[in-house]
Parts: sequence; C-alpha cells; structure tokens
Amino acid sequence: MLIQLSGIERTYTVGTEKVHALRGVDLSIDAGEWVAIIGQSGSGKSTLMNVIGCLDTPTRGTYFLNGKDVARMDDDSLADVRNREIGFVFQNFQLLPRETALANVELPLVYRGVKAAVRHARAQEALVKVGLADRVHHRPNELSGGQRQRVAIARALAGEPSLLLADEPTGNLDSATGEEIIKLFTQLHEQGHTIVLVTHEPKLAARCPRAVRLSDGLVVADGPGKEVALISVAA
Amino acid sequence: MIAAFIDNMRLALGTFRANPLRTLLTLLGIVIGVATVITMMALLEGLRLKVNKDLSQLGANVFRVEKWPSGFNLGGRPNWQRISKRPALTLADRKAIAEQCPSVRVTSASSGQPGQKVATAHTESQANVFIIGATPEYIDTAGIEIAEGRFFNDGDDSDGRRVAVLGPDVVDRMFPKVSPLGQEIRLRGRPYTVIGVLERRGKVLGMFNLDNMVFLPMQTYLGAYGKRRSVSINVQAHDQASMDKAQEEVTRVLRGRRQVPNEEESNFEISTNESTAKTLNELSNVVTAATFGVCLLSLLVGGIGILNIMLVAVTERTKEIGIRKALGARKRRILMQFASEAVVLSLAGGIVGLGLGYGLAFLGRWALDFPTAVPVWAVALSLVMSSGVGLVFGIYPAARAARLDPVEAMRSE
Repeated sequence: MLIQLSGIERTYTVGTEKVHALRGVDLSIDAGEWVAIIGQSGSGKSTLMNVIGCLDTPTRGTYFLNGKDVARMDDDSLADVRNREIGFVFQNFQLLPRETALANVELPLVYRGVKAAVRHARAQEALVKVGLADRVHHRPNELSGGQRQRVAIARALAGEPSLLLADEPTGNLDSATGEEIIKLFTQLHEQGHTIVLVTHEPKLAARCPRAVRLSDGLVVADGPGKEVALISVAA
Repeated sequence: MIAAFIDNMRLALGTFRANPLRTLLTLLGIVIGVATVITMMALLEGLRLKVNKDLSQLGANVFRVEKWPSGFNLGGRPNWQRISKRPALTLADRKAIAEQCPSVRVTSASSGQPGQKVATAHTESQANVFIIGATPEYIDTAGIEIAEGRFFNDGDDSDGRRVAVLGPDVVDRMFPKVSPLGQEIRLRGRPYTVIGVLERRGKVLGMFNLDNMVFLPMQTYLGAYGKRRSVSINVQAHDQASMDKAQEEVTRVLRGRRQVPNEEESNFEISTNESTAKTLNELSNVVTAATFGVCLLSLLVGGIGILNIMLVAVTERTKEIGIRKALGARKRRILMQFASEAVVLSLAGGIVGLGLGYGLAFLGRWALDFPTAVPVWAVALSLVMSSGVGLVFGIYPAARAARLDPVEAMRSE
C-alpha cells in the first residue's frame, strides 16, 4: 500500500466561519496504480490533492505514505517527503522562468543534495524521456505550453519519486496537446509509475483505470474510471 | 553545504543581472559609505605616513624646549593666561643646559618670525617667508644640510653680522638666474649678504614649507626683530638611549633656573619629534572615528535600501519561493538563499564603493598632490561592514520568504 488515508478531515477557518473541506476521507492506493480524483470545484479535491502531496496536513485522521506517518510532520520533514516521494505536475506548470529546462528539472535534486554532475545527467535523461532532448537549454518562455508541461513532468520524474501527483495537467493546454500529455502519462503508467491525477473532467477520468469521485468533502464513488466518470454529478 | 553555497551565489548574481540599474541605485548608500571611508582613510593614512617621515627628517635624537605648548597638544585645554605669564626662555638658559647636562651632545637656539617679505634691488616676495634666527649649531640639531656656500659660524653670530642663509624656494624666486652667493637681500629695509643655500626639504603636513625660509644669525636676528623674545632651545642627545636622561637633566636645570616649586608643573614645554608624531596620530585617530561615524550612518541608509529591495524581491518572487518549497526546499534553505543574496548584493555595493574610494584617493594624489595610501585594514573593515549590513537587513525579508506557505505562494502571480 503506497497511500493510506483514513478518516481524513480538513477544516479551514475563514474569518469566523469554519469550512469543512474534507469530512472524513478513506482512500488507499497501491503502488503502480493510476487513479483519477474527480469532483467539481468545491468538492474538496484540491484540498485532498494538497494533503496527498504533503503540501498540507489534515486536521484529523491518519495518512501513511510509503509506510511513513506524514499527517503530523513538521514543515521541514514534509519538505523532505515531498522532495523524495512526490513528483508534482501542476496545471500552470510552475516552472522557474529565469532558469533553463535543465535547471528546472534539476531543482528537486538540488534540494536532495545530489552532486552537480549526477544532477545534470539525471535531468538530461528525464528530458529525453519526455521527448525534449533538443530543448534542454531553453527557458520556459521559449517553449510551447505542451513543452512546458513536459519539462514539468521531467522534473517530477527526475527525482524518481514513488508517486506522480498531477493537478489538472491538461487544464491549460489545447485538446491536441492535452492528448499528448495524457499519452505520456499512459506510458509512464505502463512503465510502473504510480499516478494520482486530479481533474474535474469526466472524459479524462474515464481514461484512468481507477477513479475516485469526491463531493462535499467525502468520497462518493470509487471504481473503474469509466464507471465513476459517468455517475451523474447529483450523486 | 558547499554546493548549496555556490547555488545561492549563482542565484544572487542572477538577481543582479535581472535588474542591474534598480539594484545599483538601491546599493548607492553602501557604495557611498564605503567610498567615503576608503577615501578618508587613504588621505589620513597618506598624511600620517608623510608626517612621520617628515618629522623623522627633522634631526635625530632631538627635542625642543619651548615656552608655548605645541599646537597639536590634545591633552586637555591649556590655560593660556597662565602660559603667557611664563618667563621667556633665553640664550642664557641654553648656555646652562649645554654646561650642566652631561647627556646632551649639542644645543642650539632658534626663534622665528613668519609672514615676512624678502626684497632685492629688482624684486620683492610676498609676505609669506619664515625668518628664523638661529645659532650656528642649528644646522646639527635641525638636520638640515647646505647645498651651496656655508652656514653661520660663531663669529657671524657673536658679531651680529648681516649675513643670511636662504631656503631653496626663496632662491628660486629671488635669484632665478644668478647664484645667490654674495648677493644682497633686504628684510624690513635692512640689507643682508647671502652666504649659503639649504638643501631642499619639502613640506611638513603638506603645508608647512621648510624651503621657504631665510636664516639669520641669532644675534643679528634679535637685533632686528626684538631682543626680549623667547627662544626655542633645540637639544640633541648623544644617542637614542640617552634621550630620556637628557630630557630629565634639562628639566631639572630649567626648573632650578626658573625657580619652579617642587609640587608645581614645569613652566616650559618639551616636545620630541616622536611626541609631535604621536599627537598627530591621535588627531588622525579622532578624525578616523568621526569618519566611521558618518560612514555608519551611510551604511544604515544603505541597509534600509537592502531591506527594501529584498522585501520587493520576496514579493516579486513569491511564486518562485512556492515552487522551491513544493519541490522540497527546507525553510533554512530559502532563508539562506535570500540572506546570501542580500549579503552578495551589499558586498557588491561595498566592492563598487571600494573601487570608487580608490579612484578618489588616486585622484587626490594626482590632482591635488596630496599623499594618499589606502590602509589594508580599512579595505577589510569596509568589506566586512558591508556584508554585515547585508546580513542584518537581509535576514528579515529572508525569514519572511522562508515562512511562506507553498500552496498559497504558488497561487500568487
């Protein structure tokens, strides 16, 4: 079991009001799975993604990631877990604009203390893997949207994390480019990577072997992607 | 650790490259502060070295006995009213010293009249020449040398002969074409025959010109400028080792002659070249301290500039900070990144200031003919201070950056 969430609650205080973003989520994901987390805005899927990604900690409940209890860790320990266990792919890429593709991909390895020569080699390798061998020294503003997202995926892969966590990875791309990115994820899944993909698009969720539907801070459906994606929103 | 350091340096220089003009303007406080220190220290140090060298030229193992304290004395405020009532030092005092002090090798007496005109049949100088009456031994005690002709002998002095020895500047002005020896000069309308010319010695303190002088035999001088004036007595000890003993002997003899009661201070002053150099060095220390005060203010302003630009940088780069934290940068790492950026920036300002200071010091030497020497400690201190300012004022913005929440930070544009 790679991910084991049980009884996860997350409550925010906005002014004097308490917002219950997650109200007791139980979810287990095995290594090698490709799981979509689907839900409308306000369903709590972003909060769940932050909790899974160790960017946020739950108010209540337990979370074991790769055997480690991460629910009560302090900020620096969480930073280490993110660095080693999780490869992020964000909707708006989140690349450093002043750095080259290579330097961006190297970044997680920099914070892991990997030597420069090893870093370069691994980042180069990751860029080749996503088909950007000829764009290594370009900066983000010299790349297309699809290429930028590939750089981001290369960055996520470079650290060889146990989990790839993608948040609306096709959200800022046209459908053709989005399709390429999904194909890349498909390949990565086939190579054995564990992928959690957060999306609001049923069509995208339908292509994942497994999907979890979130509504109002609770898991309302969990099953094969095609089935869960088709469940009406009302449920 | 070292890799992280190199990485931080690279990032810091990246900021500079991204916004060179804005960065430079922000650093102006530090640049000016450091440039001020370097320039002032270069001038002071140059002056100090020159003065020490000049003073050491003024005769070895020599001290002066005078009625008046020397102008540089910083030890409290002299009681001028009391000093003016002191009895004059006389040629008889000098004679007593010569006879009663075994540690003394030779003595001379001198007395001066500044701001005098020198005239010949054809031309007249400005009223800026120093007229000095001196006994023949003065040539030994003052460490001066004769370039042409001769200095006074005992006969010149005891007979009050109308002879004069000129400094080279006076010669240049009054006798540009002919040898001055045997020529006549006039002081206050009285004629004197030139018998010698001194070697060039330059200036003390860059202002007191040792070459713009006319020497007369002491008796001649007293006859012309007033017999009742106090003279300076210049005393040369046998060697460096007997300097202290000679001073003690002279003090004892003079106190006896001037009937100073045991419990009272001496009513005359003894100054050595060393003591003059010491008071000058003390003076330069005071100026140094004052300069550093001014410079600290300037660095404070510079530090606020650093604080400002780093706060702007943290705001502008919130997203970047978010990304770095999401990818696994610990708080400390972010703190170090921004703190070292602040240090590198202000150190860069310090280095620019250093260059500017060196330039100004060089300009001072070249354009104003002023001695300058940049002391190594001032260089080290300004670099340490400027990086210190970067650290002190960069730590708060850096801590703010380190505390940012990655999710929130990544959401900002």
